[in-house]
Amino acid sequence: MQRFWNDPISWGHAGIYLLGAIAVLAVVILFVTYAIYFERKVIGWMQYRRGPNRVGPFGLLQSVVDVAKLLLKEDTVPAKADRKLFILAPVLAFVPSFLVLAIIPYGLKLQFADVNVGFLYYIALSGVTTIAIVIGGWASNNKYALLGGMRSAAQMISYEVPLVMSVVGLTMMTGSLNLRDIVAYQGEYFWQWNFIPQIIGFVVFVIAAVSELNRTPFDLPEAESELVAGYHVEYSGFRFAFFMLSEYIYVYAIACLATILFLGGWNPPLPQLDFIPGLIWFALKFACIVFFLFWIRATLPRLRVDQLMGLAWKVLLPLAILNIFLTAIGIEVFGKGG
Amino acid sequence: MKGTGIVKGLGVTLKTLGAKKVTLKYPDVPIEMPDRFRGIQYFEPDLCIVCNQCARICPTDCITLTGKANPDPEKKGKVIDTFDINFEICILCDLCTEVCPTEAIVMTNNFELASYSRDELFKDRDWLYENNENIRQDNNNIGAPQKGGAK
Amino acid sequence: MIRTEELLLNVGPQHPSTHGVFRIIVKLDGEIITEATPVMGYLHRGTEKLAENLNYTQIIPYTDRMDYVSAMTNNYVLVHAVEKLMGIEVPERAEFMRLIVMEMQRVASHLVWWGTYLLDIGALSPFLYAFNDRERILSLFNELCGARLTYNYMRVGGVKWDAPEGWIDKVKDLVKYMYGKLDEYHSLVSGNEIFLSRIKGVGQYDAATAIAYGLSGANLRSTGVKWDLRKNEPYSLYDRFEFDVPVGRNGDCYDRYLVRMEELKQSLRILDQALEQFPGDGETMGKVPRVIRPPAGEVYARIESPRGEIGCYIVSKGKAEPFRLKFRRPSFVNLQILPKLLIGENMTNLVTILGGIDIVLGEVDC
Repeated sequence: MQRFWNDPISWGHAGIYLLGAIAVLAVVILFVTYAIYFERKVIGWMQYRRGPNRVGPFGLLQSVVDVAKLLLKEDTVPAKADRKLFILAPVLAFVPSFLVLAIIPYGLKLQFADVNVGFLYYIALSGVTTIAIVIGGWASNNKYALLGGMRSAAQMISYEVPLVMSVVGLTMMTGSLNLRDIVAYQGEYFWQWNFIPQIIGFVVFVIAAVSELNRTPFDLPEAESELVAGYHVEYSGFRFAFFMLSEYIYVYAIACLATILFLGGWNPPLPQLDFIPGLIWFALKFACIVFFLFWIRATLPRLRVDQLMGLAWKVLLPLAILNIFLTAIGIEVFGKGG
Repeated sequence: MKGTGIVKGLGVTLKTLGAKKVTLKYPDVPIEMPDRFRGIQYFEPDLCIVCNQCARICPTDCITLTGKANPDPEKKGKVIDTFDINFEICILCDLCTEVCPTEAIVMTNNFELASYSRDELFKDRDWLYENNENIRQDNNNIGAPQKGGAK
Repeated sequence: MIRTEELLLNVGPQHPSTHGVFRIIVKLDGEIITEATPVMGYLHRGTEKLAENLNYTQIIPYTDRMDYVSAMTNNYVLVHAVEKLMGIEVPERAEFMRLIVMEMQRVASHLVWWGTYLLDIGALSPFLYAFNDRERILSLFNELCGARLTYNYMRVGGVKWDAPEGWIDKVKDLVKYMYGKLDEYHSLVSGNEIFLSRIKGVGQYDAATAIAYGLSGANLRSTGVKWDLRKNEPYSLYDRFEFDVPVGRNGDCYDRYLVRMEELKQSLRILDQALEQFPGDGETMGKVPRVIRPPAGEVYARIESPRGEIGCYIVSKGKAEPFRLKFRRPSFVNLQILPKLLIGENMTNLVTILGGIDIVLGEVDC
């Protein structure tokens, strides 16, 4: 893909780009379908249940029919809702979630766009989704949705700060925000990967990322037991599907990012295991992170709003800053390679 | 230390991941109920002596019955004519079978009553007579006059 | 200057955390509750009025439907009141059966509370863990009396069914199994920092307030008042067994949680002893006239249900039907403190506090 970057624009190149985009979309939608299936299976197994098993072999088609059901549903807009914003919100939520996928490298050569400020690009775009959620909550003209939207705005803005700060230390070590460079910087053995020297950064990143994803234990915007469903309480059918889709695409994106930033991307844990393709290593690490997200969802209760804010500003942010200082000292003492 | 409780909890769920699952394949595999289960009643018209005990004890008044004179002129007493149970309001409390002196009405282990219309829940004597599978063996009719008596 | 308004939010009657059809109208300033008005009665079926036209045996199935997660104790309070009024002797074996099913019921009821409470707080799994274990108890009840929720098991003067063969051994196994499960519950939830931070110091009140509001059960004991009718006014055979009454200190949701979890253990202890001393044979039905006609008079009987003091007040005019029947329902009385506790709390704490009180709507509305 990369070589087209510098070529002049022509119909042929545009067509190749379009095909590439459709391919990524297909991969992501496949992932979302089976991430939902797998989430339900894993949580089911952890609760003495079997999970979906009625549609198709082992219930493999369950998510497919769920989506089909959503597509066939009547498209309702509440009478008192702000119609334009109500329709705009799901689109605004979905588009940036898909755009962030452009910069994720899956292998040394397998990348859509090689952007110098890859991580920054991700943060900038994912911030737009917050606006979509606030708009959705406001436009629904529903009190639960409004509360959910407000919580979501507060939460996502607060957690973006530690999320970015947690990566600063790593950037100082690497000297680049380019995701490919970050992977290339991480060594051949798994103890040379970023999650060991940047352990504080890694922990902060994981907690802030889970919060950014609005998942348990930080799923306050859609806290079922208090706000019924939060910001998407009035949404149904395809619009609801878009909110769900963008949520799961962010799961995909965050899991990719964590793999790339801290777990050595497509590098095998030992150089002797080089014969297995990098894509498989990438997928394995990615799957571990996704499983971890499901696992904590099956175990943990939810935080309260004030505790959530306290955690972001009083714990995670100081930790992230401490991490920056420690990294700076480390670089000063041991040099950049340490 | 902070976090140990969370780690312990994660351990429990991870352990459960491989545990034996407890869900049943219910609609595919029917559930076997224990003998004492209180399901839809079975009614045996030949045993009924039209004593009205069941209709009187019913807390929700869901049983209606009428009798007629015995067609055999040599025998005294009445025989049952109509016998209806309204399963919209029947709570399957077991009291009608408890007071029945002849065990004409007994419980079965069948419990599937769902239907598309409420009218279908009004069951008559013939339907109840045909409901003759999984009949309860031990009826323990302690409320019945002649057997339980003043016990 | 931004113009701000109070938000009037209608929580319920259809809401995931009101445990049934209960409605609270809250005034919110941001997410802080400034006023709360509970509205109840959506499940009112007029049990007390209906009872005036029913004889005593017919009322028993209606009591099943009051506190439907603890039907055995409801059965007991009615038959106990009638027996008290008529002076009926209950055979020992029947009393043992009653006590065993009541304690099993207490375990089952607390399990429902535990699971739904954690669900309110946002953890999904404990609910299914609890219902998995409750299922074992319900299956045993099903074997005993043919129903899983509305047992209609007790009768004036005894119980309807004797234990089937092997049932007592199954209960013994269950008790052993439950001890292990309790430890698992504690490691799954009780140490979880998020959970603790959610419930510690939330919904706090002192002993004087609790008594003034007439609270009972774990809601009262969490403030440190050692009041358990099984100990203070022993009924059934509770004076024969050794068990402790767990009490809290601070009267917050955390203490209520601990008290209930400890009660689970004490119930298992009672079951252990009761199953050990269970008489080999004997009658399960006492000497009772065929038509139950208590003498004219009034009686009040009260017992400790999983939710608190459940009482039954009967006015009899010597007929087969009561002249007036009144149930003192612990859920209803305990709920009265809710508006006071909610003021100044966060919206999230609404479900924590409501869940901590442990109500059953069938009993609140009766």
